[in-house]
Amino acid sequence: MSSLNDLQARFQAYLLRGTAGIESEVEGSERVSAATRLGIYGNAYAARLIEAMESNYPALASLLDEDFQDLAQAYVAAHDSPFFSIRWYGDGLADFLARDERYAEIPVLAELARWEWALRAAFDAADAPVLKAEALATVAPAAWAQLRFTFHPSVARLALHWNVPALWQALTGDAERPETTFSRAAVDRVIWREDFTSYFRSLEPPEARALDGALAGWPLGELCEALCESVGEERAPQAAAGYLRTWVGAGMISALR
Amino acid sequence: MLTRPSLGFGLGLRVDHYEAILGGTPPVDWFEALTENYLVPGGKPLDYLQRFRERYPIALHGVSLSIGSTAPLNGEYLSQLRALADRIEPVWVSDHLCWTGTGGRNTHDLLPLPYTEEALAHVVRRVQAVQEALGRRILLENVSSYVAFRDSELTEWEFLAEVAGRADCLILLDVNNIYVSSVNHGFDPLAYLAGVPLERVQQIHLAGHENHGDYLIDTHDHPVPDPVWALYAETLRRLGPVTTMIERDANIPPLEELCAELEAARALSARTLASAPRQALAS
Repeated sequence: MSSLNDLQARFQAYLLRGTAGIESEVEGSERVSAATRLGIYGNAYAARLIEAMESNYPALASLLDEDFQDLAQAYVAAHDSPFFSIRWYGDGLADFLARDERYAEIPVLAELARWEWALRAAFDAADAPVLKAEALATVAPAAWAQLRFTFHPSVARLALHWNVPALWQALTGDAERPETTFSRAAVDRVIWREDFTSYFRSLEPPEARALDGALAGWPLGELCEALCESVGEERAPQAAAGYLRTWVGAGMISALR
Repeated sequence: MLTRPSLGFGLGLRVDHYEAILGGTPPVDWFEALTENYLVPGGKPLDYLQRFRERYPIALHGVSLSIGSTAPLNGEYLSQLRALADRIEPVWVSDHLCWTGTGGRNTHDLLPLPYTEEALAHVVRRVQAVQEALGRRILLENVSSYVAFRDSELTEWEFLAEVAGRADCLILLDVNNIYVSSVNHGFDPLAYLAGVPLERVQQIHLAGHENHGDYLIDTHDHPVPDPVWALYAETLRRLGPVTTMIERDANIPPLEELCAELEAARALSARTLASAPRQALAS
């Protein structure tokens, strides 16, 4: 008789690795052998995780079609789930695609996976208030330089070399799929959610740098200084004010601090 | 009776039906929400759940408690579950009499336990700890299973009865799971029913399964089949009116179709209870 602990460890080793050693613990019958019975659990294990990945990566699954099964099988073989909710399974797919030699040759795949994971995260990111434009009018002039911003938890930044957003739109909608195109300089993107709808857009380099600074907690004064380098001293204050209005208008900022 | 009066006839809350539910007045008395779908930081899922809660009683039904695992209880899961329950105020919280993983891993499957004294004592301690942490009694559901362990000393129904009695928890009786397991393991489903402490049965699950000839798999992708209806009628004869719901997780039909199936459950319940007075709990 084996202890409960030992039985569970061996049963799980069979599911995760196909390790032998549990069959002798299981009753078989004339109609259904112990191996067949265990196989029902063994097959269901991978199938369930692959299904979760298909739901987290619909565009990648559509792009790879039948090959997605191979990818997901390989990922499942290399990644056990530590999560209590299957919602989070597949979190390492972009890294896996970038590292695994079978996929690293097609780098657009890793970028598409990063993109889909970020969109999924924005969808159910924590709720937070959205700052109203009028709030900016109440800031005293002397306080502007020290003003910092709390962004909505859904705001995420990516820099992508491939035309992933256009690909994603085509793969998840009706549009015709564009050719994959590479840009030597990564294109900055931002993803966020407002009123339960997710949005994304590309950013010119000065706005991307300012946004990254603001997300890192820099006060407005420092953002302006950084902007001096990219747009010049004269235009920096106006550029900073413009970005701020855009971010507030889009619902990306939750609070001033 | 330890359980609350019947809430009537409900359905599992599924994304496919969200708009149809909010846009109309489907004849559904209550909904069962899958806990893990709403253990997310925020966004649309929680907003929807809040809106359903404003209109219907909601039960929270989880798959991650892993009550039978020898790994420590997941404190993070329990605290998130408690926070969700505080926010939604469900009619009750349920999960499964099974284990889902050990050693920091989750297989995301409802794995059967050996029905031993060791497992029994272990599960009872954990149910007590969970009820303490959640500040409420939980319901445990019998799962479908495909393997039985040589070490088992009790029948599944004896094990379920002992857990419920010793830990003072309630039971979510899945009639389809009784049927599926009875075929897979060759036991008499009526013996199962006779062994369940009916005064602890708070809720019934009905569902369909997949017939593989020599065995059945609990897939929730078909309408409720005749043998499950028959076993449900038998349950009602023993139990009287009881909160009932139909589960469908794959091949999900339009809401009207599930409502029609739910109507069949209502009609069967009314017919059965009109023609046969309760047996088991009459005294």
